[in-house]
Amino acid sequence: MFDNNVFIEGTCKNVEEDGKIIGYEMQTHITYYRGIPLSMVNFLAVEVDGVKEDPANIRFAVDPYDWFTLDEMTTVSTIKWEYGTPGTVRVLKEGGLSKGEHEVHLTVCTRTAYIPVPLEGNMTRKVVIE
Amino acid sequence: MGIKSSVSLYSLQYQFLQGKMNLEDIIKFVMNLGADGIELLPDQMLHGTPTPSEETYACWDSLMAKYHPGLACDDIFLNTNLYINRTLTKRECADLIKQEIVMAHRLGFDCIRLVSFVPAWILEPCLETAEKNNVSLNIEIHGGLGFGCPKTDEYINEMLRLNSPYVGIVPDTSLFVRKQPRIVRDYCTKLMGLNPDIAKYADDVFASGTDFFELRNKNGGEMDPKLASLIRSGADAFYAQNLEGYENRPLSIMDGLEKYINHFHFKLYEMTEEGVEYSIDYREVLEYLHKAGYQKYVSTEYEGNRWQLPDTPIPEVEQVTAHQKLVQRLIKEVEG
Repeated sequence: MFDNNVFIEGTCKNVEEDGKIIGYEMQTHITYYRGIPLSMVNFLAVEVDGVKEDPANIRFAVDPYDWFTLDEMTTVSTIKWEYGTPGTVRVLKEGGLSKGEHEVHLTVCTRTAYIPVPLEGNMTRKVVIE
Repeated sequence: MGIKSSVSLYSLQYQFLQGKMNLEDIIKFVMNLGADGIELLPDQMLHGTPTPSEETYACWDSLMAKYHPGLACDDIFLNTNLYINRTLTKRECADLIKQEIVMAHRLGFDCIRLVSFVPAWILEPCLETAEKNNVSLNIEIHGGLGFGCPKTDEYINEMLRLNSPYVGIVPDTSLFVRKQPRIVRDYCTKLMGLNPDIAKYADDVFASGTDFFELRNKNGGEMDPKLASLIRSGADAFYAQNLEGYENRPLSIMDGLEKYINHFHFKLYEMTEEGVEYSIDYREVLEYLHKAGYQKYVSTEYEGNRWQLPDTPIPEVEQVTAHQKLVQRLIKEVEG
């Protein structure tokens, strides 16, 4: 139901820091119709060309200031992922994505108190790294 | 004085998400439709709720001063599962609702809608704050969670016990669905490969004057056996579960509770080319409300936006426009 909120087209790119590519990232909207604190994000998952990334390498931020691991997010109740504000999912991986075309799949899963099942959204996009 | 029309800004959520309309565009659009007011989901279109910044409040105040919308309802939810490893305590829950009440008052609302499943025990500890801020607390009564659902009945019993003008209900017209929403059936058929026999059976059940919520209740809380027997795939299961969220009840189920109705949700699944809502007979609903002496808001809540095929435009603007045209005309006609 929220698949179309996931993985904003054209946002996947390698991330360079101090002259080194430290990984890659992409932007996504929330899989819910309200903003919620980060502690209510159940999980984020990334798969590239059919291979699942290690969740320990995933970081998430909703602003330019604070990056969290998935474990850390479970206690973040004062920073909200606002509806309409893209969050950034980053995967730490030396060298990032290799040049060429990739199939990148993102899963975003949130929970609410009144819908009995977690709200999972999925999107696969073809990404070209130049 | 009479029945007033409003639009829940939920109806335009994809315009907001996709950056096609901001909050100002949306308020301006709704007021230009001739609606009397708006319903807001603060945690959808304002940042930092329930304690937004002074800057956010100033921005809100300037929009109110510019467009003067009536403030029909503040639509909130209680995140009892804020943490994955525990449920919030009653004190934590009451504190969150109190913050919402204070914010609602500051924004200018005097009516809060609590989404279904907000527990009834929240009412008493929050009542003093509600009174002090002149904001009523009202539970949503939605199809599939309607009268007869234990959580809803528990709330209604508590409401009757407290008997306060600050505790009431917001019925939703998903209780009065006469035909299953065609748009949902089409979505599940085209995108998911729904078994057509289920869709046909659903049409028959609604045409016979009942619904799958009632059939489940009659079957000891288990899914109607015939519906269950037609499920052959995940798509069928999804559709079947969704069907139980539409009730086909008579309006008279609200008899005796009229004085507790502080707001009303006018669900919109699909406006047809004939200018009527496909599933709900709004003349029937408005005639009932007029006869009951109802003089508060009725809010368009467009839910067809979530049943659009991927990569197709979401016709929120068009659908809300057509629904408001219908509702505003019918209010005039029934009130004479």
